[in-house]
Amino acid sequence: MQPIIETHGLTKVFGSNGAAVHALRGIEMTVARGEFVALIGPSGSGKSTLMAILGCLDKPTAGTYALDGERVEGLSGRELAQIRNDKIGFVFQQYNLLPKASVLRNVELPMLYAGVSRKERRARALELLERVGIPEKAKVLPAALSGGQRQRVAIARSLANGPALLLADEPTGALDQKTGHEVLELFVDLHRQGNSIIIVTHDLSIAAMAQRQVEIMDGLIKLPEAA
Amino acid sequence: MFNGAFRERVRNSWVEMRENLTRSTLQSLGVILGVASVLGGFSISDSMRKRSMELYVRMGGLDKLNVRQSAVVKEGAPTALQMANLGLRTADADEGEEIDSSSVDGIALRKDARARVRSTYADQERDIRGVGGDFLALDGYEIDQGRDFTMHDIDAAAPVAILGTEAVSVFFPNGDALGRTLRIGDTPVQVVGILKERVFRFRDGQRNIFRWRNRIIAIPTTLVARRFEGDQYHRVDRVTFRIRKLDAMAKFSKALSGVLKANHRQQEDFRLDDVGARVRKEQSQGNVYDIIFLLSGFLSLIGGGIVNVNIQMATLKERIREVGVKMAIGAPGREVFKEFMTEALLLTGVGSIVGLIIGVGFSKIITASIGIPLHIDAKSFVSAYLLAAVFGFVFALFPAWKASRLSPMEALRYE
Repeated sequence: MQPIIETHGLTKVFGSNGAAVHALRGIEMTVARGEFVALIGPSGSGKSTLMAILGCLDKPTAGTYALDGERVEGLSGRELAQIRNDKIGFVFQQYNLLPKASVLRNVELPMLYAGVSRKERRARALELLERVGIPEKAKVLPAALSGGQRQRVAIARSLANGPALLLADEPTGALDQKTGHEVLELFVDLHRQGNSIIIVTHDLSIAAMAQRQVEIMDGLIKLPEAA
Repeated sequence: MFNGAFRERVRNSWVEMRENLTRSTLQSLGVILGVASVLGGFSISDSMRKRSMELYVRMGGLDKLNVRQSAVVKEGAPTALQMANLGLRTADADEGEEIDSSSVDGIALRKDARARVRSTYADQERDIRGVGGDFLALDGYEIDQGRDFTMHDIDAAAPVAILGTEAVSVFFPNGDALGRTLRIGDTPVQVVGILKERVFRFRDGQRNIFRWRNRIIAIPTTLVARRFEGDQYHRVDRVTFRIRKLDAMAKFSKALSGVLKANHRQQEDFRLDDVGARVRKEQSQGNVYDIIFLLSGFLSLIGGGIVNVNIQMATLKERIREVGVKMAIGAPGREVFKEFMTEALLLTGVGSIVGLIIGVGFSKIITASIGIPLHIDAKSFVSAYLLAAVFGFVFALFPAWKASRLSPMEALRYE
């Protein structure tokens, strides 16, 4: 089966000439469909940069990247936006919900950009809220929710367009241990249901819940020690 | 637009505006003032124009062509032809009507004299107005008591008079003028009619600019010719044609000029005055005020527009993260651009409505203070609104474009 992610020689250079910073220096990475991978590494290792490129938020300086079988490294901003909308679901550490829109509207937003009809948006958003376990919060504003609930909304939003890949950047970083664990349980559930998930974290205990750990060090993947 | 994205954008913009009321108010201030001053300015000059139109209508209408005598000898001695010329005569009026009798809706003759006027109560030197044809109607007079002159009165030079209210109060202060006799010069004439009082104040509280019209003492032109300023050629001071059809006027005026010239031994000793054309020309000079008002509206819209861009750019900083989130979940730059534009245009729209309301209030206050009725043309509403819309659109472009060009990664990381 085609891997969900396949990169070859992915590099990213910030700045130019004298002040150039090599954030990624040739990443070779493959993630199989349905895999649950933890991306770990200390801050400054390049894992956020890799995450941005994998999430199509940024373009690599060189190298190739195929997401769900589609080469994306040369695409325009508009095409990337469409891929993000269609194939990727983001979950951020700071939730990044729109504060002035209700929970329901937040979850509907990716479907709005995808051109889904109003009726269907509503139905699907309610269904997703049910799935993350907070169907009763549809009408409230994010400010009225606890951190864990907000992250559930963010997860529901990330699932809105049935993405090929879920990308979570420190999803439990702002939560206490108990709620953090509940959120992780949700990811494990989603994985069981067949979703491909990449979770970025610096917490090894969280990484341990994934099937596989990929460690980034100085812009390169650190080869796993023989287990 | 049809899946509700447009609706959603409008809704979000509305929420954004409401939640940042102070900022939104400041942003729309330029639009409000601009629209108010354009509308206010326009409606004040519209009101003035409307008022002067009323004045002309009350003076007997704009659909008139006056023919007056005019000196043909500019300098030196007159030529034999000029000496022999007879001037403006009753015959000119008759021949004028024959040009296009279907277009001519009325003819008035006027021949003035000055004479001593006496009654039991007063004895004054007064202007006497000899009138013929439909003079009273064409000059905006109406009979209050008694009757108008008949054809017979004019043909036979009957010794009858019609008085204005001032003349009545001077010569017959007891109010029993009708049927009484007035001596004009040596001629006793009978008062057969009394005119309605004529009043027109351009602004409230001003003098009645029609007051001298109430001084009229009218008698038939033929009586003036026979007893005061008479000659065998039936000369008159003024001939007026009423032409109701606007498009017939120019043609008639040209033909009349030819006929009169032929009639006057090729001497241009007459002057044609197309009242409607003259008034329209005078009024178009008032357009300079419109331009001034438009300009001041323009300037405040530009000022407001620049303030708007500034505020928008400043708030963009606060909203970079939000833009980043939207981009991350798949909003293309185009969508971000549309969202910012929607917000700016909604602001302009609401601002213009407030501006229109203020503009109406503003012109109400001004017209009330100068004492003329308020008249607002629908055209002024539309042009003030369109002007604001255009400015709102143009000044919204830059911040919206800036927002749409943000890199999603940098926008997301922005603190």
